[in-house]
Amino acid sequence: MIGRPISRPKAVLLSVLSVLMLLVGYTWVSHRQHQVNPNDTTIPSWGQLAEGVKKFTQPDRKGDRWLVEDSLATGERLALGLAMGIVFGFLIGMLMGCISPMEAFLHPPISMLAKVPQTAALAVYFVFFGTGMEMYVAMISFGIIPALAVTVYLAIKDIPSEMLDKAYTLGASAFEVAIEVVFKLVLPKFIDAVRLGIGPAIVFLIAAEMVVGDVGFGYRIRLQFKLTNMNVVYPYLAILAGFGFLLDYGLRALQAKVCPWYQNGAK
Amino acid sequence: MTDAEQNGFGLQCQEVSHWFGETKVLYDLNLKVNAGQFVSLIGPSGCGKSTLLRAILGTHPPNEGRILTLQNGRLAKADHPGRDRGIVYQKYSLYPFLTALDNVALGLKLDQTTTMFRWFNWAGWSRKRREFRDRAAVFLEKVGLGQAMNLYPSQMSGGMQQRVAIAQALIMEPAIILLDEPFGALDEATREELQEMLLQLYEENLEAKSNGGKPPYTLIIVTHELNEAIRVGDRLIGLSQYWDWKAAGHTTGPGATIVYDKPAPVFRSNERPNYESFDDIRKEIRKYVYNPEVLQPRDEHVCLNSTK
Repeated sequence: MIGRPISRPKAVLLSVLSVLMLLVGYTWVSHRQHQVNPNDTTIPSWGQLAEGVKKFTQPDRKGDRWLVEDSLATGERLALGLAMGIVFGFLIGMLMGCISPMEAFLHPPISMLAKVPQTAALAVYFVFFGTGMEMYVAMISFGIIPALAVTVYLAIKDIPSEMLDKAYTLGASAFEVAIEVVFKLVLPKFIDAVRLGIGPAIVFLIAAEMVVGDVGFGYRIRLQFKLTNMNVVYPYLAILAGFGFLLDYGLRALQAKVCPWYQNGAK
Repeated sequence: MTDAEQNGFGLQCQEVSHWFGETKVLYDLNLKVNAGQFVSLIGPSGCGKSTLLRAILGTHPPNEGRILTLQNGRLAKADHPGRDRGIVYQKYSLYPFLTALDNVALGLKLDQTTTMFRWFNWAGWSRKRREFRDRAAVFLEKVGLGQAMNLYPSQMSGGMQQRVAIAQALIMEPAIILLDEPFGALDEATREELQEMLLQLYEENLEAKSNGGKPPYTLIIVTHELNEAIRVGDRLIGLSQYWDWKAAGHTTGPGATIVYDKPAPVFRSNERPNYESFDDIRKEIRKYVYNPEVLQPRDEHVCLNSTK
């Protein structure tokens, strides 16, 4: 039956099964490849992968651990870019949704910015922001601001006017309507939009690091790919996926904590 | 305005006309509602009942004429929504992020504290918040929801949500409460329960009057249900576009106006009315308010109360 729920143990079993199938499938493909070419590094065996992990977790000749320095660099860029994007995306969306002249003023540039593929505009960011931290932060934040701002704007437009009118009859000022009603109604949808924005933000950052970085996940993946050290590239990708998953999980937990009312029936 | 006049004043619409582009909705509408009255506003679909309610609420002020309410003890134009007028909508419009208790307490919070106070005076706000929630709990008990205080709107039935919405309006002690088809989405049994709840409020009015005080609740309820209008209201106002506007010199329909204004029988909350006894009133209303064949000059309509 379509949409019929299944029990929790069944759901967990199926999830574990899907991951196991991936691992078994990879093992089989890798095994086949090594039968053809025992020195293959494009689809490394589990032993080769362990060597790769050792390579980036232990100090290199200069005494640096790649994973630590790449994580710090990428993490700092991503955190700053996301923070700027979240703050400005939310503010711009609130202004557009609550104040009609701001809507008229900001809608055209936001709509235009939303259509520009950020990775294609990399050169523009180099010109305006150089190749330092500012460039990464600008690229991530400009990349996610349009989607976040439009989400907030549309969520505000979606609020029934009765809820806003009623707030005035309860003695609210326009500012209080924005803070006490609009903000609280929009918040869970905004958190959902941030969850969806994490993926593109990581893509923008990795793309930029691949082109101009001298440290970071993108830089390392590009460098190791050139050397066909896929035993480093695959674990790095897995770490990125795990990081994205953790961030998403954290945001879902935050949403459940600050917006407990946002259940299926109340959306 | 003297104290006595203030005590008796509810609302006044003076020569109110409203239109949307070429569509004429309300025409030269005059209505005076006294404090403590429960006015049932009835009329055919599209006659402008909700438009009039929105004009009174202040979200859609009339194109012509004015609506006066008592605002901070002074007569003032109701040209924007304010805390002197409460509103209960058909779709409840509760805030989904607040529990029943906090929905009811929200008005006190917004009306009696400022954002700065709430942000910077944590101890004071915590004290006030407790006080507001205690008062909200009393109102929830009053509407029979003592057990549901901590439920979110999505966890409540339609009837429960509408009770919360009514408590939300009542706690503000507004000069007038507007109800826009409040029970339209509810089943018959729940409707009756809520009608009885409104009649309990009317009983409080009668008690206050008998003690020489100002009746606390003044209501305008828009409804499609004639039985409900007759049972809940103590005054029936019929708004209709079916009147002899040609005799008044118009070449096209100028919009709806009041064509019926009569007192309604008063019931106690625990009294189950015999709806068959409403037959004569219903027939009269259908004839004068709903029948496009019966077009009389405005002044010859059944207007027992002075609406000017």
